[in-house]
Amino acid sequence: MSAEPARLLGIETSCDETAAAVVTESGEVLSSVVSSQIDLHARFGGVVPEIASRAHVELLTPVVAEALLQAGMAGPEVAGVAVTVGPGLIGSLLVGVSHAKALALVWGVPFIGVNHLEGHLYAALLEEPDLELPAVVLLVSGGHTLLILMEGHGRYRLLGQTIDDAAGEAFDKVARFLGLGYPGGPAIDSAAMEGDASAIPFPRGLKDQGYDFSFSGLKTSVINYVTKNPEVETVDVAASFQEAVVDVLVTKSRRAARETGARAICLAGGVAANSLLRERTLDACIADGLSAYLPSRSMCTDNAAMIAAAGWWRLRSDGATPLDAGADPNLRLTLI
Amino acid sequence: MIVLGIDTATQQVGCALGGVEGPLASFHSARGRRHAETLVPAIDFTCRTARVDLSEVSVVAVDVGPGLFTGLRVGIATAKSLAQALRVPVIGMSSLDLLAHQVRHSPRLIVPVIDARRGEVFSALYRHVPGGLQRLTDYRVGTAGELANDLLARREEALLVGDGALRYSAVLADDSGFIEIGGVGAQWPSACDLVELAHPRALREEFVQSSELEPMYLRKADAEMNWAKREKA
Ligand SMILES: [Zn+2]
Repeated sequence: MSAEPARLLGIETSCDETAAAVVTESGEVLSSVVSSQIDLHARFGGVVPEIASRAHVELLTPVVAEALLQAGMAGPEVAGVAVTVGPGLIGSLLVGVSHAKALALVWGVPFIGVNHLEGHLYAALLEEPDLELPAVVLLVSGGHTLLILMEGHGRYRLLGQTIDDAAGEAFDKVARFLGLGYPGGPAIDSAAMEGDASAIPFPRGLKDQGYDFSFSGLKTSVINYVTKNPEVETVDVAASFQEAVVDVLVTKSRRAARETGARAICLAGGVAANSLLRERTLDACIADGLSAYLPSRSMCTDNAAMIAAAGWWRLRSDGATPLDAGADPNLRLTLI
Repeated sequence: MIVLGIDTATQQVGCALGGVEGPLASFHSARGRRHAETLVPAIDFTCRTARVDLSEVSVVAVDVGPGLFTGLRVGIATAKSLAQALRVPVIGMSSLDLLAHQVRHSPRLIVPVIDARRGEVFSALYRHVPGGLQRLTDYRVGTAGELANDLLARREEALLVGDGALRYSAVLADDSGFIEIGGVGAQWPSACDLVELAHPRALREEFVQSSELEPMYLRKADAEMNWAKREKA
């Protein structure tokens, strides 16, 4: 018997990041390798599913080898292989799922199917093992905008979600319209630094109604405003747009924490890397006496360490996933 | 030397284990295109049936296409991953070569035809030569009508096999009597043929490392085709 702590290999290929990581049972990240395909998709202004799937096939073997190497492992000593089984692009998911199953078969260890969204919720736990619960989690990315009350491990209540575009999608679409490039989140974030956030009073869809979100009206107003005022400074549009998005996200998270009696607000997903969102969330938590959990930028965007972390929880609660399980592009979070 | 063969290039999922004595055990299922669900349990089943431990496998052989992209990638990702974990090399083989192999003794022109969807087929032409098959053309993708015209121009007896030949039999067959369409028994590549063909190659060490194995797509992603069109315009 070795005295080494048990370790899980995590694999993530649900969208345009090919990632693998090794995480110990106590949540220590021994390695986390992410190979981004952003450059492959940039000229198309968004992720192209077929191109993503092809890249995963090419990249996954070296990415897994690198993650094992960095963790100082040969492979067979892992306690299990966790992989994202959904939601995501089906062709991309299947590459990771096939890869993970084969490794689990050869090594004779559990195969663990993980929900990508649950992975994002576990990103914060990896960096803050003593996360105070219940916590309101704002999960915002290119594909998702969810407001969740996390009461405990595996115990989630859905408070609200977007009724049209995801927050990250709105950033991408507006950035493309303004000619700021792809991906839109970082492009708008940096352009906004130079602009006046109060220059244009863009609408705050559903801000004071319930917990659902709507961003398509905001995107349309940006397009209409710029079309009518072609001389407007792009940086002012970017700053005012970002202000409107963040205002809605923070107002709702804060109200949710108050109304549910949550003790913390936690950010997750790619949009959680946005500097204004982080700043405003922190301010709100300080004002309301709540803990704020702002995962590092690399933990906000898609990675495999969060999949391995959620995999540990799933292995303990549900055991191994059967090897004849598939992937589900529309997989939902199991709610209470 | 034991070879594990994996084939997911078409609607069928197949795997086989074998060595110098030929295939020891195999699994094939053409039902429902559930490649990712079926393949790894099938490999496990095949190993148990053949009483072979995966650690005894020396080479992983895989059908690299052309074929349906999503299924194809399931087989290739699985083969790469198995080879990585077992620390063994891989051998890639074309789905069209495998299909042609099934009818290799025919004196006619041999034409494997795989359904590529969107009204197109993957195909190549072969001829029986002493000791095996000679491929006469590139692996190619095109409409069934284009293939029919090519065959018509050759005015030579031809045997067409594969799911594409069956699907487009009305377009491909003609009244001349030159064209015969193979039956349903020869419509999918066989993982047993894959093992049989890969074994001598493995002995000659004609293999690659798993990272070097690439699928044969023959068709660009749609977005790239549209992009190329726009660039030209
Ligand atoms: Zn994500």
